[in-house]
Amino acid sequence: MTVVPAQQTGGGGGSSGLYDVLELVLDRGLVIDAFVRVSLVGIEILKIDVRVVVASVDTYLRFAEACNRLDLEAGPRKAPGLPDMVGQVTESGARGKSKGALSGAAETISDAFKQARDEASERETERPRARRTAAPRRKEEQE
Amino acid sequence: MNTYVYGITAASHPPLPEGLVGIGDPPRPVRVLKESGLAAVVSDAPEDLRPKRRELLAHQNVLGEIGADGCVLPMRFGSVAPDDRAVTGVLAERAEHYKERLGALDGRVEYNIKAHHVEEAVLHQVMAENPEIRALAEANRKSGGGSYESKIQLGEMVASAVKAKESEDAGALERLLEPVADAVSVGPESTGWLANLSFLVERSSAEEFLAAAERARRELPHLEVRVNGPLPPYSFVEPGPAQPAGTAAGGADTGAG
Repeated sequence: MTVVPAQQTGGGGGSSGLYDVLELVLDRGLVIDAFVRVSLVGIEILKIDVRVVVASVDTYLRFAEACNRLDLEAGPRKAPGLPDMVGQVTESGARGKSKGALSGAAETISDAFKQARDEASERETERPRARRTAAPRRKEEQE
Repeated sequence: MNTYVYGITAASHPPLPEGLVGIGDPPRPVRVLKESGLAAVVSDAPEDLRPKRRELLAHQNVLGEIGADGCVLPMRFGSVAPDDRAVTGVLAERAEHYKERLGALDGRVEYNIKAHHVEEAVLHQVMAENPEIRALAEANRKSGGGSYESKIQLGEMVASAVKAKESEDAGALERLLEPVADAVSVGPESTGWLANLSFLVERSSAEEFLAAAERARRELPHLEVRVNGPLPPYSFVEPGPAQPAGTAAGGADTGAG
């Protein structure tokens, strides 16, 4: 089978991958007027703030500090995104994520499914057909 | 008993996996209601259904299962009909429309891409491209960090440059991925990401699309790019730019702000 990187799970975490998908589940998809929709009161989980650009004095000060810390001797033209740099950034990042841009690929829907599956398999381990829930992602990759 | 609706498929869709369960605790068995050449994938709706994570996941999981076997029009989470008959009534009434959509989306899946800046990398870029910012940062550093005012001034300049980069990078990302997709839907803005793009991709082109996403990561190394998919075509169930609830299909007019 061919390798399809973005669908391989690997990294830990995955919570933002989960949020990424839940946003779609909540906000998109078919709506039929004749049906009632469950109240979504209390769903604020999606508004996670992983980005830090907010026009506020705090942000300005933080940016100023960050610029002072930047190693200009290494050259402002040093290619951004080098592994060491990514490592540093994730530590200082808003969410303290311990992964770089590339391992973000691992944050796929599969993580979300895996959790759901784990929960499901606790109930249905003895039913082989039911465990088909573990297969569809892979099946699609093979196509 | 109210009926919870997950999605709509063609009546010819392969049978559900045996034992497939959906929302609720205990999870309700998933079943199919056929009408007018269509099939609604449903389960009983629990009385106290709340938008909890496990319920959202159950909804998504059922759709993933069905979608693996063929095209499904995914319902938005939380769609509850008074009973089964209300569901088949809607199928009968709008059969032509749903069949048209199923045809249009057949063999296609959605990939959702979200991206945000890797902060230090983007700061490097901003300074590299902006002599004024560089000079001010240098002056601040030489004076042991600079005065409060000059820090604010520097920070403000940087923030505005970063903001400009966000829309620039969102555009660049879209341009890199668009050629390998059938359609693009620009998702709602949030502070969580600088780009929230959904792409409709033919299953047979999925590898190409993922390769393009990999290339985009290399070309835009100051972005963290998250790829989610394949997903049911949530963002493409209705044609045209008039998507409900603030999502805009194929529109570029959500770029403001």
